[in-house]
Amino acid sequence: MNIANRKYIIVLFILVIGVLYSLRLFYMQLIDDTWVLRAQEIAEKRKEILPPRAAIFDRNGLKIVSNKTYYNLMFIENNISRLDTIAFAKLLNWTPIQVRERFAEIKEGEGVYRNKSSGKKTPNYQKKRAYPFLKELSLEEITNIALHLDNFPGFYEEVTSMRSYPFSNGANILGYLNEATRKEIDEDRFYRPGSNIGRSGIERFYEKELRGRKGIRYVVTSAMNNPIESYANGKYDTIAKQAPGLKLGMDITLQAYGELLMQNKKGCIVAIEPESGDILAMISAPSFDPNLLVGRRNIGLNYPKLVTDINKPLFPRPLQAEYPPGSIFKLVQSLIALQEGVITEETGFPCNKSVVGCHNHPNASGVAQAVQYSCNPYFYAVVRKIIQQRKSKNTFTDAEIGLNLWHSYMNSFGLGKKLETDVSGQRPGLIPDSKYYDRIYGRHQWAFSTIRSISIGQGEIKLTPLQMANIAVIIANKGWYIEPHFVKSIGDGGPLPVYQKKNYTMVEAKNFSAVIEGMRRVVNEPGGTGSAARLKDMMVCGKTGTVQNSQGEDHSVFIAFAPMDNPKIALAIFVENAGAGGTWAAPIASLIIEKYLLSKISDRDKEKRIIEATLSNFNKP
Amino acid sequence: MRKNDSLLSKLDWPLFISFMILVFLGLATVYSVAFNEEHPSIFAFSEKYGKQIIWLGASFFIGLLIFLIDADYYSKIALPVYISVLVLLVIVLFMPPINGARAWLGVGSLGVQPAEFAKIATALLLSKYISELVVKFQTIKTVLTACLILFVPALLIALQPDAGTLVIFSSFLFVMYREGLTFDPIILGVLNTIPGIKFKSTWLGNHFIPVLFVFLFLCIITLFLSNVQFHLWGFPNNTFQGSTGVVLTLGSISLLLLLFIRRISSKRDRPRMILVISLGFLITASISLFVDKAFSGLAKHQRNRIELVLGLKEDPDGGDYNRNRAMAAVGSGGALGKGYMGASVSSIESNHVPESETDFIFCPFAEEWGFLGSIILVATYLFMLLRIIFIAERQRAPFNRIYAYCVAMILFYHFAINIGMNIGFAPVIGIPLPFFSYGGSSILSFCIMVFILLKLDSQRIDVL
Repeated sequence: MNIANRKYIIVLFILVIGVLYSLRLFYMQLIDDTWVLRAQEIAEKRKEILPPRAAIFDRNGLKIVSNKTYYNLMFIENNISRLDTIAFAKLLNWTPIQVRERFAEIKEGEGVYRNKSSGKKTPNYQKKRAYPFLKELSLEEITNIALHLDNFPGFYEEVTSMRSYPFSNGANILGYLNEATRKEIDEDRFYRPGSNIGRSGIERFYEKELRGRKGIRYVVTSAMNNPIESYANGKYDTIAKQAPGLKLGMDITLQAYGELLMQNKKGCIVAIEPESGDILAMISAPSFDPNLLVGRRNIGLNYPKLVTDINKPLFPRPLQAEYPPGSIFKLVQSLIALQEGVITEETGFPCNKSVVGCHNHPNASGVAQAVQYSCNPYFYAVVRKIIQQRKSKNTFTDAEIGLNLWHSYMNSFGLGKKLETDVSGQRPGLIPDSKYYDRIYGRHQWAFSTIRSISIGQGEIKLTPLQMANIAVIIANKGWYIEPHFVKSIGDGGPLPVYQKKNYTMVEAKNFSAVIEGMRRVVNEPGGTGSAARLKDMMVCGKTGTVQNSQGEDHSVFIAFAPMDNPKIALAIFVENAGAGGTWAAPIASLIIEKYLLSKISDRDKEKRIIEATLSNFNKP
Repeated sequence: MRKNDSLLSKLDWPLFISFMILVFLGLATVYSVAFNEEHPSIFAFSEKYGKQIIWLGASFFIGLLIFLIDADYYSKIALPVYISVLVLLVIVLFMPPINGARAWLGVGSLGVQPAEFAKIATALLLSKYISELVVKFQTIKTVLTACLILFVPALLIALQPDAGTLVIFSSFLFVMYREGLTFDPIILGVLNTIPGIKFKSTWLGNHFIPVLFVFLFLCIITLFLSNVQFHLWGFPNNTFQGSTGVVLTLGSISLLLLLFIRRISSKRDRPRMILVISLGFLITASISLFVDKAFSGLAKHQRNRIELVLGLKEDPDGGDYNRNRAMAAVGSGGALGKGYMGASVSSIESNHVPESETDFIFCPFAEEWGFLGSIILVATYLFMLLRIIFIAERQRAPFNRIYAYCVAMILFYHFAINIGMNIGFAPVIGIPLPFFSYGGSSILSFCIMVFILLKLDSQRIDVL
């Protein structure tokens, strides 16, 4: 064999390798996208930039929720070189032991990964990741530290923004932010560990409107996980965009005044503009400064205190406290009876104290007088006529028909159900229907006489203060209401269309005059129970209620609207364990009305008495 | 003046131009990878690209000197050069180790690696030895002497240790093959003891070196496929292990060859051809099955290591980190790449791909220029290698031819292993990509190697 021919074998070897490598490169670079994905995983990092949350304004354009800049002191362990613990501790005004403890705490606590199936927690601390060493530092705090950070490689500052409340009011309406839970993070890709989410109130209901659009920056990162440069010159980056501000129907001045009046008391004030359904103020007493629940540090410090406070400041009374309404319920009963035609405006019933107790007053010769005197026997008679309309010969069947009719009337007043609005966390209250009593007494085992205490708003009836205020709205509007709501408009979008729809009750406008006249008399006529709400310059219509309370002193209730002819404000005041409605709730109502409509207080003594009062059941810390 | 003109006209321009293309692309890639904003000039001598320019300048200066020396001289200086390099290789073993290997002579950026120059010295001496043989390069004594020339520097390099360069030394086996290296004496010695058999030569003995490499290649392929399960079309319920797959493939190829036997052989050769194909199939198939069995018979930790080297096992952030990052860089280049200086995975500052300016320099190149650039690079190397073989074959002097083959095989090894490890076809062995990788010793040695070849070729006519 000719040895020179061996060159062909060598050439063949070279060609085979060349072709093989070309095919391999063809496959790797053109066909298989595994490596593109792998490269992205390795080197390209999505950096998410959170815009500051949208601001919130009150009805007069005052900024009531804004953002304040805070700083986190971050570190990446891989980048730390020869940390002088003593000098570092001195910089933070800590002891070296504290510094070491903090590192240990981060390593055990940060990025803990919980295995879904086994529930076992495994620490996922990584030396190449950034972790906050200190969180939520103020500008002054960070400045002192940042000046010397050059001496401590691996540490750097990071800007974050947190809520700030220039007025320290309305905490119960605004709600607060807290770190998103693992579940929330899993459900919505917007959130990352450590990002904030609206936890209650408006912050929660309008979370999507407030959080804005996240900016995404693609950066090329090194093996040490440090960003080096922007990817593709920022071609795919999006800019973080703050959401437009929310405008509330709330009047922050009124809210603040209400909170002042209700200090050292338990109860609530709900004030609504009848025409629009805007909630002007919603005080849950005792109230607290919303700034107490800003950021992890504050929440960690203050939340336990608020939770364990015996006066339950975190309990949103206007929405969740379901009280029997007491006498204010008589207004609704009158309206239903008039609409059903079972009484006329002039129908009189004697004040027969053998049925139910009453106070001493003349017999009511009409609806207006009955409201004025708040005559219990009268309303027993009225509600008996609503429930037992003799539509069936069987008394029990008749009561069933009557009660269900009555129940649908109540529903049309927004009672016994949740209002469909942005006021989140409402309770529905309780308006019993036939099924409810069937469960207690058995079908056809009950009639009006069994359930008569509903006539005067006691017994099973339960309303939230928001629903009570809405009754005042309906009467002020003579038969309709717009779902009471917090937010008027978002950005420049104009009034929210959802809150334009009028909900008509089953009672026609013509049937309201007698009741309104009665409410006028309650406040403005001698012998009316609500004379403490009387104002010289304004015709206030109201109705007191004294809610019997088996656990202590009666609750004081008052609902009102003003002015009588062109109502601009409707409200409900509920003061727990304060006795008769006229004593505490009525004067508070008058002060709120005056403050809102006239921007002045005529009776300084009344104001002083209310502000300074500490009710006996209020536990001072 | 006449002499200069004749030099330019005698220079092998295709080789020189392909060499210059690679040098230029290499420098551009080093500049891209090591770019430092503070010293943007390519002549910034504090940066790696500036240093690379210095080394290239030095290489071209030496190249000029090479062209001034008469070609005859190289066979004469072969032995002194070889011995001096051996001395350096011994001295280097007493130097302080850098990165675990005693490979550097001198300090800092002025250091050189004698191992790089050992390749040239060995090539020269091997060429001299074989070309001056009066007997055929087939006797046991001559083969052993040639092997000794390889073995001494290889042993010293192994002591550094430098596995990469050691592997490169096996490229000389191909040169020896081309020059007639045969294992027939051994094989015949065994075979002819069997009564009734009297072979004059065997195919296996003649082509022992390529067969050895095909055998190694086959082993590797079998191992690659040992964890893969095949589904054969039409047999959905049957799965085949990797080795079965190899055997089936080889069987089909053999069957095809037998079916078309008329086309590929003359009538006279046919019986022999059928025998070769059948025997070839039987031998390779049994090797494949044997490797598979032997592999599964290995201890677990041994198997682990082999699997990792062959990429059979995934450990992207551990033992397989380098290769995984390199392949991500190459693969993410796509069709046209990320643009010059646009490498994101393999840039030096990102540090995902280690040694991206030296051993893994193909990564940034492939990432920035994509498939288009990669294929041009591979084609240029192939062209260069084939051109050198072409040059080798046209030499009158055996010394020139053997030396040219040495250069071709050394470059081929570097090319095949270096690019292979970037695309997952070869285990990670730290050797530079010729003319591309940053580094004084490798640039100098590769340039000198090529310049000597060009000089020898330019004077091929003068040889009587």
